Amino acid sequence: MEFKLTEEQELIRKNMREFADKYVEPIAGEIDENSRHPAEVFKRLAEGDWMGIPIPVEYGGAGADYLIHILAVEELSRSCASTGFTVSIHVGIACMLVLLNGTEEQKQQYLLPMAKGDKLGAFVLTEPGAGTDVMAATTTAVLDGDAYVLNGTKTFTSNGPTGDTYMVFAWTDKAAGRKGMSCFIIPKGTAGMSAGTHFQKMGLRSSQTSEMVFKDCRVPKANLLGKEGAGLVMAMAGFDHGRVGIAAQSLGILQAALDESIRYAKERVQFGNPIARNQAISWMIADMATELSAARFLTYHASWLKDQQRVFSKEAAMAKLYASEAAMRHTIKAVQIHGGYGYCKGAKVERLMRDAKITEIYEGTSEAQRMVISGNVLR
Amino acid sequence: MPNIIACCKWVIDEAYIRKGPAGALDFSTVDYKISDYDRNAIEEAVCLKGLHGGSVTVLTAGAPEAAKGVKDALSRGAEQAFFAGDPSFNQLESSQTAAILGEIIRSRIPYDLVICGEGSSDQYAQQVGPRLAENLGIPCISYVQKLTIGEDGRILAERRVEEGVEVVEAPLPVLVTVLPEINTPRIPGVRDTLTASKKPVVAIKKEELPPVGAARLQTMGMTATRMERNCEKFAATPEEVARFVGALQKLGVIS
Repeated sequence: MEFKLTEEQELIRKNMREFADKYVEPIAGEIDENSRHPAEVFKRLAEGDWMGIPIPVEYGGAGADYLIHILAVEELSRSCASTGFTVSIHVGIACMLVLLNGTEEQKQQYLLPMAKGDKLGAFVLTEPGAGTDVMAATTTAVLDGDAYVLNGTKTFTSNGPTGDTYMVFAWTDKAAGRKGMSCFIIPKGTAGMSAGTHFQKMGLRSSQTSEMVFKDCRVPKANLLGKEGAGLVMAMAGFDHGRVGIAAQSLGILQAALDESIRYAKERVQFGNPIARNQAISWMIADMATELSAARFLTYHASWLKDQQRVFSKEAAMAKLYASEAAMRHTIKAVQIHGGYGYCKGAKVERLMRDAKITEIYEGTSEAQRMVISGNVLR
Repeated sequence: MPNIIACCKWVIDEAYIRKGPAGALDFSTVDYKISDYDRNAIEEAVCLKGLHGGSVTVLTAGAPEAAKGVKDALSRGAEQAFFAGDPSFNQLESSQTAAILGEIIRSRIPYDLVICGEGSSDQYAQQVGPRLAENLGIPCISYVQKLTIGEDGRILAERRVEEGVEVVEAPLPVLVTVLPEINTPRIPGVRDTLTASKKPVVAIKKEELPPVGAARLQTMGMTATRMERNCEKFAATPEEVARFVGALQKLGVIS
């Protein structure tokens, strides 16, 4: 058993750290405040092959391990969780869906520009009445000649307003139940598909989230991804990949909380001593560091299983569950360590705490992860 | 089309050095990096290759672990590397490093231009560049903040000196030592790092080199700096200046 990264993995991690320090950290507060999608950063990410790390070179990616993608999301999220997430959902779900299920033509037409970072992917599944209960969705796709006609409303679509290539799920045969949902690749500008306005969120504010409305939206048959009726199975496999990314995003948030807490606790003097000398503070930091390590091992292990082409659903759910809850627990502590200063805008820990909350909610709530895990271990 | 050699050193990343209990430096958890100004040297070599063609070779001597640094250097655009790795090369003195690099260049690498960082991030002795030029018997231009190769194959270098900028022209071959102002080193992309492993590295064993001379320097100790505030104020009057000097003498800061 080896607990170490390869030289390439270490170098790439360091390069992303430098990238994030240079281009992301300085604007992270501003893009949070203004809910702004930093297009300039994504252009640079594309130039460095960061937008398609685990996608083969022939489809525009870097042809690297999934673990390298995970390390990149973690380091990016250490500076800005929104930017890290956008990369995560673009690569981990949108690109992976096409890579795993697409035809050669679909890969050339849609995956290649996404993996190169020229186009941004989005995952369109959730509906106002269908969150964890995906089966409650109502959006339909009816075959009419050589096209499917989609009708319905989706919500909480990440990259909704900013995306270029949407993976949209709709019922082709509601009566067939779990085998009745299908997935379609729909490029931006398709008539009948429109994105609503960006939701103002508590955290993750620079990631653009909106409703997606489908009104007699005609999608050519050639844009059906995978087989008709295979949508739900594909979505679940997509979630497995995406969840490791959310775990990595949580690691980045937690690492940043730890860095900020250590720095502040050593610097802040009360009663004549740095507050780090108080056991009440130092134990909070000890717990934070310990749970960060635990979360990291779970996350890297899930990613390693993926790279070994082994089953990793349960491990992805465990990593996401543990890392996201640890991020939430300890960003609250990080704010506590910072006292009043941590409660004010401009303190990084304030943003970290708001950003951490979403990791327990999207791509399956903590409760949904527990359903996946218990379903696996009680089988 | 110039053949360019960029020299680099794999050094401790100072961000990881911690302070031990008695002020001693704790190196137990350090990571390593390419010395900062050497990254500028590599970048400049790669930029010049982009403008004029030719080739870029990176050259380093160090402990076997520096192999990772070689990979890092190759990911920054050089096409091959020469690496003299040996456990005893971990703490080389400037004169020894210059002798090793000089021997390797003379015997193995055709060149027109050698670029070094002005000084290393760890010791900043600024010795290897000038000593290497001397070893090779070529001119050395130091403190370079801008570099151009003219059509006649001569090199034009802007040197930042204390009282301004000095412009120097020299025929190739020449060695230059560069300042960080000369460029902004790139951050390698994912593919740059992955393909670096496939580039040729010529490994040179200690036995293939003439013996390096004995070390002439001895490190007596290394401690972290300590900052203490005594909150003593001095005014800008002659009496006060004298009192200030006296205070510094008393503390042993000056003698």
